[in-house]
Amino acid sequence: MVLAAYDLWAFVSENRDELLDGLLNTLKVSAFAIAGAFAIGLVLGAARAHRIPVVSQLTAVYVEVIRNTPILLQIFMIFFALPQFGILLDQFTVAWLSVMIWGGAFNSENFRAGFLAVSYRYREAGYALGFSPLSTFLNVTLPIGGRIALPSSINTYISVVKNTSLMFVIGYAELTTTALNISNLSLETLEALTVLGVVYLALVSALSASIRVLESRLALPESG
Amino acid sequence: MPDWVEPVARYILQEGLPGTLRVSAIAVTGSALIGIVLGTLLTIRFLPLQALIRLYVEVFRGLPILVTVFIVYFGLPSASRELEFGPLSSASIALVLWGSAQVAEATRGAVGSIPREQHEAAAALGFGWGGRHSFVILPQALRRLLPPFVSLLVNIVQNSTLAQVIGGLEILEAAERQNERLASAPPIGLGEIHAFEIFGAVAIMFFLISFPLTRLAAYLERRLV
Repeated sequence: MVLAAYDLWAFVSENRDELLDGLLNTLKVSAFAIAGAFAIGLVLGAARAHRIPVVSQLTAVYVEVIRNTPILLQIFMIFFALPQFGILLDQFTVAWLSVMIWGGAFNSENFRAGFLAVSYRYREAGYALGFSPLSTFLNVTLPIGGRIALPSSINTYISVVKNTSLMFVIGYAELTTTALNISNLSLETLEALTVLGVVYLALVSALSASIRVLESRLALPESG
Repeated sequence: MPDWVEPVARYILQEGLPGTLRVSAIAVTGSALIGIVLGTLLTIRFLPLQALIRLYVEVFRGLPILVTVFIVYFGLPSASRELEFGPLSSASIALVLWGSAQVAEATRGAVGSIPREQHEAAAALGFGWGGRHSFVILPQALRRLLPPFVSLLVNIVQNSTLAQVIGGLEILEAAERQNERLASAPPIGLGEIHAFEIFGAVAIMFFLISFPLTRLAAYLERRLV
């Protein structure tokens, strides 16, 4: 059997529009999921760090359930099991919702650790200045703890981006699904896999480079 | 309990569970062995070797594991006919590539954290590089590697479900097949959807395996630091 010659450039230029759409969908799902995971992590992480009754315990259950079950199974739950209760979601919603729920759980742990790392003296100083608990959180705990949580939360966002590739199983046309569908027809498997590898590695290294940039930009004054 | 439960449970436990266990066992063993060797080699100051291992680590940690699974399952056979693996083997290989990269990174840190005096004392006793590392440095580094190993085990058990995507018969694939069977019309199935019950039960199975292990990892982390 003669294998077709490996021609990455032809593959990319012939399928440029489709691949770009796929990449765009990957970025769209990632952006939705990251924004949601940020909000969930911030609120639930704060609730956990400040031991707000009920919310704190429910968050602990949420985090443990998500951390201790495979994400693929979580996607199956949302995509196959929710319709049983009349909740039918389209593929795009399932895509960002499932990675957002996953990322939110990990992110609430990141933020919890960040907020807990803020010394109680700082908060005491806030109270002494007459700040309410909420404004103490917003003006003292959040700016300091948020910076401490930043690198680990970006690592979670990196995983969120990588996990969008799992939307292959629900047939949502993000990058992985798009590239593999093209290669199914044209048999340019190696070209498709090269594109996937290069694009994901580029996305991941861009995000991890942003950790270093943000870390130096947002470094706390005393940590020099 | 309804009649459909027993055959479904039996299929998942008899056909699915062994697949998950096989993939996990191979992946954990392979990741540990390859990762420890690569991580130790990474501490040698020899630039070409370091660059090569760094590349391996960065690539397989950076790629989504699903893409690595596709590279092994679809990519290798189209590169060379001899490199054709079944779904479960492909998933195992992909998890070894990913896991060994994780372990290599952790090992590098653990070996680097052993004080220089230990190297010097071992050298003074007449150990060469190999003996120094296998009898003096690595046994101490392994203690520090214990918590990341337990986390790795959890991650690998969970990620073994990726074999489902390429049709490997493990727990999730077994569950999905039963879900489809029940949903199809009689006499094959019941024409009923029981996705929530089936996948929920599978989620509980994974939780029961993972939760004690994540607790153990957290406990070890606290004790060993």
